[in-house]
Amino acid sequence: MEPEAKYESKAGDWRNYKRVLLPPVKDLQKLDVYRANGGYEALRSVLIDEKWDPKSVTEEVKASGLKGRGGASFPTGLKWSFMPPVKPGAPRFLCCNGDESEPGTYKDRQLLEYNPHLVFEGILIANYAMSIDVCYLYVRGEYADWITHIEKALADAYAAGLLGKNILGTDFSTEIVIHKGAGAYICGEETSLMESLEGKRAYPRIKPPFPAQRGLWGHPTTINNVETLACVPLIISNGSDWYAAIGAKNHTGPMLYGLAGHINRPGIFEYPSGMLISDLIYEVGGGMRGGKKLKAVVPGGSSVPPMRADQIEGVTMDGDSLRQAGSMLGTAGMLVLDEYTDMVTFLRRITHFYAHESCGQCTPCREGTGWLVDIVTRIDEGGGNLRDLDLLIDLCDGMEGRTVCALADAAAWPVRWTVTRFREEFEAKCRDSVFAIA
Amino acid sequence: MPTVYIDNEPFEFEPGAKVLQFCLDMGLVLPHFCYHPAMSIPANCRQCLVKAGMPAKNRETGQVETDDNGDPIINFFPKLQTSCSLDLADGMVVLTQRTSEEVAGAQEDNLEFLLINHPLDCPICDQAGHCPLQNQAYKFGPEGSRFEFEKVHKPKRVQLGPRVTLDAERCINCTRCTRFTEEISGSNQLTIINRGVTNFPTTPPGTTFDEPYSMNVIDICPVGALTSTDFRFKARVWETSQTASISVHSSKGVNVDYWVRDNLIVQIVPRQNQAVNKYWMADEDRLDYRRFNDDRPQNGPEVRSGDGSLVPAEWTDAIEAVAALLSETGKGKLLFLGSAHATVEDNYLLMRLAELTGNAAPVFLSHVVEGSGDGQLVTDDKAPNAAGCRALGMAEVSPAELKSHVAKADVVYVLEDDPVAAGAISTDDLAGKAVVLHYHRTTNHLLTHARVALPAAMAVETVGTMVNVDGIAQRLRPAKAIRSVNRSLVMEMGTSRPDRHGTPFDRWYNESHKIDCRPSWDLLQEIAEKAGLDLRFKSPSAIMNDIAGKVAAFDSVTYDTMGFGGARLTTDVSTGAS
Repeated sequence: MEPEAKYESKAGDWRNYKRVLLPPVKDLQKLDVYRANGGYEALRSVLIDEKWDPKSVTEEVKASGLKGRGGASFPTGLKWSFMPPVKPGAPRFLCCNGDESEPGTYKDRQLLEYNPHLVFEGILIANYAMSIDVCYLYVRGEYADWITHIEKALADAYAAGLLGKNILGTDFSTEIVIHKGAGAYICGEETSLMESLEGKRAYPRIKPPFPAQRGLWGHPTTINNVETLACVPLIISNGSDWYAAIGAKNHTGPMLYGLAGHINRPGIFEYPSGMLISDLIYEVGGGMRGGKKLKAVVPGGSSVPPMRADQIEGVTMDGDSLRQAGSMLGTAGMLVLDEYTDMVTFLRRITHFYAHESCGQCTPCREGTGWLVDIVTRIDEGGGNLRDLDLLIDLCDGMEGRTVCALADAAAWPVRWTVTRFREEFEAKCRDSVFAIA
Repeated sequence: MPTVYIDNEPFEFEPGAKVLQFCLDMGLVLPHFCYHPAMSIPANCRQCLVKAGMPAKNRETGQVETDDNGDPIINFFPKLQTSCSLDLADGMVVLTQRTSEEVAGAQEDNLEFLLINHPLDCPICDQAGHCPLQNQAYKFGPEGSRFEFEKVHKPKRVQLGPRVTLDAERCINCTRCTRFTEEISGSNQLTIINRGVTNFPTTPPGTTFDEPYSMNVIDICPVGALTSTDFRFKARVWETSQTASISVHSSKGVNVDYWVRDNLIVQIVPRQNQAVNKYWMADEDRLDYRRFNDDRPQNGPEVRSGDGSLVPAEWTDAIEAVAALLSETGKGKLLFLGSAHATVEDNYLLMRLAELTGNAAPVFLSHVVEGSGDGQLVTDDKAPNAAGCRALGMAEVSPAELKSHVAKADVVYVLEDDPVAAGAISTDDLAGKAVVLHYHRTTNHLLTHARVALPAAMAVETVGTMVNVDGIAQRLRPAKAIRSVNRSLVMEMGTSRPDRHGTPFDRWYNESHKIDCRPSWDLLQEIAEKAGLDLRFKSPSAIMNDIAGKVAAFDSVTYDTMGFGGARLTTDVSTGAS
């Protein structure tokens, strides 16, 4: 059952799209295969061509309109330009954030598994653009097997002289260090990622100072997502115009969509940005599992506000459109829920996740996430009161925007919007409760 | 000067300040827990939220934009800001809980969050009564709680180290203690473990929290989570009186509050003095309080009788016995031993007495233990007032010199010291000599040889001055009452404290906790009077005024100029054995 194509997709002719981040090439993770397919040519061009200097690379990335893929959609070129001028002798760092741990998000893993050299090349170009000598590739600790893969790929790159001292015979030298996380979602937050790298407890830092001013060990640092950096070699080889022409105008480029939940074909799919949610569910994802009706979509990882099925009409996967529809793009890892889903149980699972992952630094988040899970659990188990629903919204008010990092917001949004948008289900469960107050 | 508008009131400020500290300096109350002026700012308790904004400026002209009434338009930050980490800026507008309902609401929400997992231990908690969480919850918190679930359970009594016990449930994760060990003491012995709501501070596996400054975390803990293993459950804050004085355990003169209940010192806590100890004190100073309670003389003054035993005597008889001894002894045959344990006033009177009786000036022994200090608040010199003796011009003698002095004398007059315990002389050296002893504790070795033994008030019972190793003169104030009535002491005691010392009509009152002793400055004056010498001062402050006029080092040092912070001497007294 395919819905009529009455809405225009910003992704253009996506059915004939040729994948670039995860191209259909066998054994691309092997260095020779990657190089045979034009790999590391962007790096060679950047290092050797007269045309490129650090400034022009940054300008090219700016012109491409690339926005960060880690969830906040911050313009990457702009972020790079925040780095202060080079001071001789003072180190500068890049962190490549591969700590994706949000339910529904698993795109970086695919990149690191199938195209690790593209990520390395992106890191090298970014290091060149910002005159950085060390990049820490922070990979989620649960990805133990994938870390073995990328360590192998990294060793190959070092052996081929693509990393280390005097890369490709030039005087440019840079290093990549792979760092394993220890299983904490909070380490994906950029400042706590730095704390974790420094060997400390991963408590997010207050901003300002921003990482570009005082980052790792107090030195200028930039943090980019794996997918963001993987886009950089493509921009350099094909030009910013080519990149900017892909997908939605305000949110350009190829995008890795993660599909999960009650659909026939879950997985990671590369398409231009700005895909219609309905296209993703009914065409890319092969439709709802068992022919059920759609109930809810969480478009960008578990922390973004869930949408009702009737809210997704004509909504495309880019920042503007989703914001208008009352949600967010996040990491574009979509959770699809069918009509048989109990939204209270769904929310219980989500709140449990955030209560478990709150680092406990700030009061509203530490105490609030625990309280939310208590209330939602009680409602789910049939002991809820109708007044609990207002209390949940009240607690969200007390948490949002009151903490050092955005984890409290990420924990509060799903609660606020699940309760608001699926209130009848919560009320029904509360009314069945023996404690119900009519 | 740049100006900031706090609650619509203009304040001028020096650039570089943070909003919270500035408000506190200006006497404006903002609730806070994690912020401590001596340590880094983590902004993790989220209690000090304020609404802040800057005046809107025209991008082209740089002029401040105004609304129709001519008032500047303020662009408020979209989120509430933690005032502890917010830099003051010229023209900034800050709204606190007094003028903004949003801020008051946010602070209330935050306190509700803080309290949901905080146990209802207040009735048995050491911190109750002087607890920032309790006080601020009453002032800024919600009326009740909407939390209807079981609170999180954590370990209730963790022995972190020999002196500190943790009640993890009470902890609000402000990280003051872990920051103390990181930034102040540098021991790194505490860290937060677990995550989310199960967080609490503890030591890394296999280590114990035994650093020499560990007990400071008890004072900075804003709740009753970190408690003193020694003091835990011993006394409530409202049963005790706190007296601002100084510690006499070392020559640093650490500023402290003595906590007294029923005329016993129950604990010593540091008092802020940026010039001396900042906010801190060493554990050994703190646990030194027992010597003010234990082994104290219970019999009043004693005079040696014909059969060779010490017999309790009336004060007048004992004083007359000393006066007679002074008059009888030939000039030059009397050795006065001053003391680095006694106050400047006591030593000064002793010097005057030596002068009036025509004897050599008093000398004093140093109590330096080489290498025992740590260069911070623990000093090599174990006596509190060696610098004061030196500043008075009193000569310091080595143990050998003292021995030869003693050999030449007929009468040895010892002021609040124990040269035998210091290893300078042995009791055999005193054979055949008359000893007059002002003493604190019955462990004094000279008691066996004393002709007259006069119990002297200890540092916690007297009024006086001591000069620390850095040359700062500081006042002692009486924390404990003595049995006899002395007008100067009673006036210094303040009005609230006599109640807490009890009267014989109180059931819990114990007369033996009041020691029948007198301050040395009182005894010395009366002895001189009985011996027909003119050594009369109205009060200890009059003695100090006299010293200020006569001894150059103490120029302009009076009780008023010392106040609670101390006064630096005009000359350098740090030379010598300290």
